[in-house]
Amino acid sequence: MIKNYLTLALKVLRRKPFYTFISLFGISFTLMILMVLTSLFDAGLGKNRPLTKRDYLVVSPMAQRLLTVPDTSLIVDTLSLADGQLRYDTTEEITERTVSNSNGPMSYRFIMDNLADLESAERVAIYNDGSFTDGFIDGRKYTFSSYYTNADYWRVLDFEFLYGGPFTVEDVEAAAAKVVLTDRAAREYFGTLGPELIGREMELGRRTVTVAGIVNRPLADSPMFAGDVYLPLTTIDARALADTDVSGGFSAVFEAATPGGRRAIKEEIDFISANYQFPAESNYNKLEIMNATVVEGYAMATVREQDPRKAMRILFIPLTALILLFVALPLINLINLNVSRVFERRAEIGVRKAFGAGRRDILLQFIFENLVITVIGGMIGLVLAIGLIRYVNANDLLGLTRLSLSYRVVFYYLLVILLFGLLSGLLPAFRVSRTNVATALRG
Amino acid sequence: MIQLNNISKSYRTDTIETLALQHMNLSVPKGEFLSIMGPSGCGKSTLLNIMGLIDEPSEGTVVLAGREVTDYHGSQTARFRNEQLGFIFQSFHLINDLSVIDNVELPLLYRRVGGKERRELAREALAHVGLSNRATHFPNQLSGGQKQRVAIARAIVGKPNIILADEPTGNLDSHMGGEIMDILTRLNEQLGTTIVMVTHDERMAKRTHRLVRLSDGERVS
Repeated sequence: MIKNYLTLALKVLRRKPFYTFISLFGISFTLMILMVLTSLFDAGLGKNRPLTKRDYLVVSPMAQRLLTVPDTSLIVDTLSLADGQLRYDTTEEITERTVSNSNGPMSYRFIMDNLADLESAERVAIYNDGSFTDGFIDGRKYTFSSYYTNADYWRVLDFEFLYGGPFTVEDVEAAAAKVVLTDRAAREYFGTLGPELIGREMELGRRTVTVAGIVNRPLADSPMFAGDVYLPLTTIDARALADTDVSGGFSAVFEAATPGGRRAIKEEIDFISANYQFPAESNYNKLEIMNATVVEGYAMATVREQDPRKAMRILFIPLTALILLFVALPLINLINLNVSRVFERRAEIGVRKAFGAGRRDILLQFIFENLVITVIGGMIGLVLAIGLIRYVNANDLLGLTRLSLSYRVVFYYLLVILLFGLLSGLLPAFRVSRTNVATALRG
Repeated sequence: MIQLNNISKSYRTDTIETLALQHMNLSVPKGEFLSIMGPSGCGKSTLLNIMGLIDEPSEGTVVLAGREVTDYHGSQTARFRNEQLGFIFQSFHLINDLSVIDNVELPLLYRRVGGKERRELAREALAHVGLSNRATHFPNQLSGGQKQRVAIARAIVGKPNIILADEPTGNLDSHMGGEIMDILTRLNEQLGTTIVMVTHDERMAKRTHRLVRLSDGERVS
């Protein structure tokens, strides 16, 4: 019977080329844009490498130092005259007022002294992302975004190594002249990409370093891993390591044993913030070490808002509404198109029922017709979206971000197609299946 | 074959109640070719719809092919219509999106008959009405007479015991109408199919075994 519904659906679609074209155009275009949007979000938020442990991580990109002063206010509540004397009730309120603040990444020493040994964290990645280094070869110069990291950075973040591997704890301790490159940086500098590059030397800044590994460039543009070259953090300028101030150029990412363990890490960091004692000569008296989940961090970076909850609200509420609207509009349009088309076919339904079609048969026929057109439209949309994603990625049209084209995105996409097909077909099919035969045949 | 006992049908709106049929009794034996005549609005089509389980009577009982079907509902009605009844309409009601042979196959689709057998039976039915060479055409490529012959093929493809025809020659000229009557008569004689036909045309009615006249929802002869 399913085969019958299917062939029938195809026959009807072939006989109505204009309707089919209009529907297909709408469906495939809508679904294409949906897929590209999904892909964009998956690139930023999905568990793509190096963020496969996304749900285990707490990011601490910076700390905020504040100078607060008590702010006293006196409010006169009631005023009365009694026995020739003025009487009044007042409320006194003491609040905290921020006089000045400063925020930014932390110093290496501050992280090592305060955050490196959190009880609730399995390990911590420490990195410095603030610099650019020039690479020289054959008289040409390339400017690379350079990251200085500890060894655990490579365990917390799950980079895909194309060749070679990361530098080790010993390399970091010995300040070894080793480097990990992205595939793009390698191709730019050496002109080729392959296993033969491992062990090759590179002129980076005023040093010669050896290539230890080459990683696949991550899809997302995240401050956690936007580097072209990664070096052991001990090879950074000695002054950056010795600086005892709170602020510096380093950030941290903590890994919890379980996703639920993130809460304990955040609480521990908040506790450290609350109990931190500034030296007497400091200009500040209060510290807030930022801590957020990766998704919160994404929201904070995207909308440039420092409060994680606020950032999530600002990003996701309008976004969800927008996506819903974006899906709802063509969906309503399609339902509308289907309803009017189905009503044109009332006589057909009358005939089918007269010759023995039950409600279920009619319902299934129309749902199938709609599913067939949605699936065809969806496939066209998929091809268009893949083309668009490849084009965007090949030309780096979104800056560092590349769109992800994973099985997960395709899976979500297929779900959306099915949902779209079912939803847009169900209502018209349901209404039409209730058609009264006598009325349908008369009119 | 068809037994209508004390059938009444009224249509009710907010303000008025219209009586379409009043205490109608009718018995059609197996193999009879019966015609029903009467002025417009006298209840002919309502009567035919009640026999076809397309409409329900307000009162009375319907017995078709030996079964009391008055209280049939939903899928029961659908199956009964599919197996026992064939319909022919004045305005043909072919599905324009489907080819002639697909139209003819339609009743078999709801009987879960396999594709190959369906084709075979449909070709047989088309041969019966002399339209074998039009199988792959679409309805809008056919003349009125041809369309009605396709509709007859569709009505007989499932080999029903009863055919209900609502003014089958009403939209055709007398020559084509005559041809349709030839086919119906042949069906009745060769296959023994019981046929009930509503018509406005005395000449067509004369070619049937018996004529029932209605007026204002009542039998007058």
